[in-house]
Amino acid sequence: MAAPIRQSLFGVAKGRWRFEGLWAGSLGSRSLALAAAPSISGSPWRLLGAVCLQRPPLVSKPLTPLQEEMAALLQQIEVERSLYSDHELRALDEAQQLAKKKADLYDEEGDEQNVLLTQDMEDAWEQKFLQFKPGARITEADKKNDRTSLHRKLDRNLVLLVKEKLGDQDVWMLPQAEWQPGETLRGTAERTLATLSENNLEAKFLGNAPCGHYKFKFPQAMRTESSLGAKIFFFKALLVTGDFSQPRKKGQRVWVCKEELGDYLRPKYLAQVRRFLLD
Amino acid sequence: MALAALGVSARALRSRSWLLGTWQTQIRDTHQRASLLSFWELIPMRAEPLRKKKKVDPKKDQAVKDRLKKRIRRLEKASQELIPIEDFITPVRLLDKARQRPPVELPFEESERRALLLKKWSLYKHQEHEKERDAIRTMLKSQQEALQELQLMSPELHAEATKRDLSLFPFEREGPDYTPPVSNYQPPEGRYHDITKVYTQVEFKR
Repeated sequence: MAAPIRQSLFGVAKGRWRFEGLWAGSLGSRSLALAAAPSISGSPWRLLGAVCLQRPPLVSKPLTPLQEEMAALLQQIEVERSLYSDHELRALDEAQQLAKKKADLYDEEGDEQNVLLTQDMEDAWEQKFLQFKPGARITEADKKNDRTSLHRKLDRNLVLLVKEKLGDQDVWMLPQAEWQPGETLRGTAERTLATLSENNLEAKFLGNAPCGHYKFKFPQAMRTESSLGAKIFFFKALLVTGDFSQPRKKGQRVWVCKEELGDYLRPKYLAQVRRFLLD
Repeated sequence: MALAALGVSARALRSRSWLLGTWQTQIRDTHQRASLLSFWELIPMRAEPLRKKKKVDPKKDQAVKDRLKKRIRRLEKASQELIPIEDFITPVRLLDKARQRPPVELPFEESERRALLLKKWSLYKHQEHEKERDAIRTMLKSQQEALQELQLMSPELHAEATKRDLSLFPFEREGPDYTPPVSNYQPPEGRYHDITKVYTQVEFKR
């Protein structure tokens, strides 16, 4: 049993051994606890289902300078090629009348004061617009950089990360759970979400198929006949409503965008996860 | 004697005739016969065969009905009005010449700036398209690899993973707005009068 394992080790990339060391105690201790639940009969790999829960953006992204310029140009061209609107015609007529009145030296008494000039109308509209206070695109949570809050980075997708104590180390990862015989992998992912959120979160799973996978082998010390390593299958879900109730342990959960994933996840794991995250 | 001859002929006929009806008519019509023993004269041979009126009547009725239907169809076709597409009809008040703007003459710098900006924009969009395409390709590849791994692990789970998810579609979601929703927003009071024109087209279904 030692020889084939050594051969597979030689075939493995250099970084993996180091990485496996980190996972050493983790699943080793878990595997002792869950020794009664084998993954698939005959296969030495343990099976885990994980959920990639994303909060979709609430607000559109800000435009880049090139996009701003282009938007301005398109607006200009549209105005140039259009016909005069009623409001503009009215403004032109009034301008003509004013010019006439200045040219004529007689002061015509009339309905000068009763006429509502277009300028007055525009000012009134402007005032009304200023009275409306829209919601802030950059929220307080952004300013504080409070990563546990859902109201941060409203223009990006936020992914849920969870810190779990595996053995003697704390590891950040996507929420996962061991597969139990009798359920589908998607069922495992849904169960993970339910246990994590205590049914406060409502998520829409995008299909039955996994979007990515990650497999790794346990280090030599932890390997047994039946567990050579583990395979994690990720399932994508979109957050519809709901949020976690007051977090009991503040350091355990984090909502993070794609760039910030590197601060939390391990390199190999991160590489696999980034493949299926669109930004 | 005649009666006896009649009885004899009747018995002779009884043995020969095999249709009960013809036997009865033979007895009935015997006063019209030329001779008593004539059998074939009893069976009416000179008359035309009876015309069965049953086939022709339903045909006639059907023909009448078809003609009526044709007439109704012609009437319907003539009266069918197409629903007007309001976007394609220019309102008359916009055909006024006073509405037209004077043509703008752009200075050279402005037209140059526009041309260069359009070129930069097309390059940017091309790059954006390539990035999106590559991202989608990577996502698909990742999914395919995951499914392959699952197949190697356990074919049953793979089969379940490749089943269609019927609860996925119809999938509806409100897209991102410019500003997030305000929590304590009071909309202005008033009633909403819907003045869209609704056209109905009567369609006869056969």
